[in-house]
Amino acid sequence: MTTTDKLNSGLRISPRMSRRDLLFGMAAAGGMAALTTLGYRALRTSDDTTTEKVPFFGLHQAGIVTPAPAAALIVAFDVTAKDKQDLIRLFQTLTDRIEKLTQGWTPPAADPRFPPADSGVLGMKVFPDNLTVTAGVGASLFDRRFGLESLKPNHLHLMPNYPNDQLNPDEIHGDLLLQFCSNTAETNIHALRDILKNIPDLMTVRWKIEGFLPPHTIKKLGKDTVRNFLGFKDGTANLDVADQKRMNQLVWVTPDKGEPAWAMGGSYQVVRIIRNLVERWDRTPLREQEQVIGRSKDTGAPLGMKHEHDVPNYAADPKGKTIPLDAHIRLANPRRSDLGLILRRGFNYSRGVNKAGQLDMGLLFVCFQTDLQKGFITVQERLNGEPLEEYIKPLGGGFFFALPGVKAKGDYLGRSLMEAAT
Amino acid sequence: MRSLHRVFLTTCLLAWSVGACTAPSSTETSESSTSTTNTSEIAVTVTNTNCQPNAITVPAGKTTFVITNKSDQPLEWEILDGVKVIEERENIAPGFKQRLVADLDAGEYDMACGLRNNPKGKLTVQAAGTTEASLPSATELVGPIAAYKVYIIQEIDQLVAKNQKFTDAVITGDVEAAKKLYAPARVHWERSEPIAELFSDLDSSMDAREDDFAQKADDPNFTGYHRLEKALFKDNTTAGMKPIAEKLMADSLELQKRITDLPIEPKNMVGGAAALIEEVVATKISGEEDRYSRTDLWDFNANVEGSQKIVELLRPLVSKANPDLQTRVDSAFTEVNTTLAKYKIASGGFESYDKLSNQDRTDLKAVLTTLSEDLSTYRGTLGVD
Repeated sequence: MTTTDKLNSGLRISPRMSRRDLLFGMAAAGGMAALTTLGYRALRTSDDTTTEKVPFFGLHQAGIVTPAPAAALIVAFDVTAKDKQDLIRLFQTLTDRIEKLTQGWTPPAADPRFPPADSGVLGMKVFPDNLTVTAGVGASLFDRRFGLESLKPNHLHLMPNYPNDQLNPDEIHGDLLLQFCSNTAETNIHALRDILKNIPDLMTVRWKIEGFLPPHTIKKLGKDTVRNFLGFKDGTANLDVADQKRMNQLVWVTPDKGEPAWAMGGSYQVVRIIRNLVERWDRTPLREQEQVIGRSKDTGAPLGMKHEHDVPNYAADPKGKTIPLDAHIRLANPRRSDLGLILRRGFNYSRGVNKAGQLDMGLLFVCFQTDLQKGFITVQERLNGEPLEEYIKPLGGGFFFALPGVKAKGDYLGRSLMEAAT
Repeated sequence: MRSLHRVFLTTCLLAWSVGACTAPSSTETSESSTSTTNTSEIAVTVTNTNCQPNAITVPAGKTTFVITNKSDQPLEWEILDGVKVIEERENIAPGFKQRLVADLDAGEYDMACGLRNNPKGKLTVQAAGTTEASLPSATELVGPIAAYKVYIIQEIDQLVAKNQKFTDAVITGDVEAAKKLYAPARVHWERSEPIAELFSDLDSSMDAREDDFAQKADDPNFTGYHRLEKALFKDNTTAGMKPIAEKLMADSLELQKRITDLPIEPKNMVGGAAALIEEVVATKISGEEDRYSRTDLWDFNANVEGSQKIVELLRPLVSKANPDLQTRVDSAFTEVNTTLAKYKIASGGFESYDKLSNQDRTDLKAVLTTLSEDLSTYRGTLGVD
């Protein structure tokens, strides 16, 4: 049963419901006692997706188990705050801006002799457009500047250079990471510019990258899997975000994980800019492509099986006759245990060409996990040396820790961390 | 130098290669017509060869121009007082329209109509009884503006004197002497940039960087400081640079002459404080200004000094209108100057840009961005439209 099916059956909503209804439904299931028929109908009367809204307050930040929308923007920052008080001001301002931007607001009318308070990219009223802004912190934030040395999450460290990586120093790491996701690139850009204008003194942009997903596939509410730039379905075996127990086991930091108390409700986030060498891939025979990945390009089914969601039986194929031992899906998820299970939330990216005139496009890989070591690092170490490496080149990204959620008005992003600081 | 002038120049240069920058024939210019109107909205269509109408008369005060680009390339439409740009709309794509609201004093102006070689249109602004009331703070600004004019004239006088030594060294072939004189001469240019760059022709011939030209450093139109910089610091020679040095000196004298007669507009002075810091944020912090000499920090510091001079002259007004703003701006300047001071060298001037640490660069970015945000409110704070 897919995520959507579960949500649908649980909430008894029709398969024709829009994404907006689903999101609203999730909010209802998560907290509100009931959703009035009136409110429900009011939501359905319009196809205007700009009013879609993801709740901001919660135990966890939005943008992690929230279904991925069509547009993403990931921006890493160097924090220039000088001390703990500055950093608190940064987090508080950030919280205020994110709440406004994700819930919608109307900027004050401007005196035309002054620069306007808002860029106007979304018009005079800022609509939510399904926006989430998820804040994470990098290992470099946990230093003497802010008295955070002893509070670093156990597994947080700078992303190393894996054997196939060709990391660009201008596109890795960062003290702070913001992940913007919404229905449109414009909404993400508007939000970024708002935040930059409101927090000019405490952080500077280090690197940024935009990603996207096909809206036609997203509209199918998880009934179809997005294809990546290799032309393969990507994300078939992802975790089920509706399974709260699994989320607590594998995605969220919970008290049993041995992490600092402030980190409860957060999650390790990995971002990797993985260029696909698409020209070369497109000149590779189909059979070889499928052997490298381990799935049928057409159906997405594991090789030797019929349906996309069929579960490969590796025990019955010990020598890799059907699915090679070094096929991407077999290395990434050998289906033996929970070790290496992560919540993926990737996007496609495309930008420019290199000096050789080849396209710079590929996967903006994003994943979340409760334990970086048992999650991404385990998977990456299994994948090191895989045949797919001939066709991909990781260029940047970093390891971050997505902060716990903002529980209610008055709370702010990073509050538990700052209150634990010496 | 402001990028919008470069856009124009590049468009024209690129167009040269397909012959579109040649002077139009007489038949092509015969479509000129005259339009006099009392309404405040004026439609102007720019074709490949001219503006239509290419003679317009409007009353003094605010006029809205609706510019339609019917030529086949992106263009910039400008209202010029001689070579001084009064108002402009840049990058109007072919087939598109843009509006420009201009607040014009009575007088005769030119309109730049697309390619630089096209004949300029005439814009006549008639004095009218209904001009907008002068700005409330205009009288209070008289003192600071007069003092600023004196500052600019002194800076340009020094620019002329130092450029004389610098260009003499180039002409006599003394590479080492010329290298030493390069950065000190530019200081006065960078301090007075809000005014100096008002003359787009001189801004381009004196301070353009090779990026602004189709053939980059090899482009025959690439002249001025940065052409000499490349010869001295990269090629390590003055060979062939005599005409470039002579032109830079002639341009300096021309700039001095023009500035002497130039009335300084309140918005150019008040807005200049922000414009200088925007320059730093956009091109000095990145180290792209003086890529061969690596003397970027000299320019950086001179921009900051030029901005701080304006802030000083406006202090009585700003600290009255918005004391918090004045305090924030003061503390930002202190922070910038403290960081810059780390890179001062005993013999005067600054270390190579390469010495600027990543941490200092990041910190400077943050404080300068904050300063830009605050200085961008100066015009509004003083009611200068």
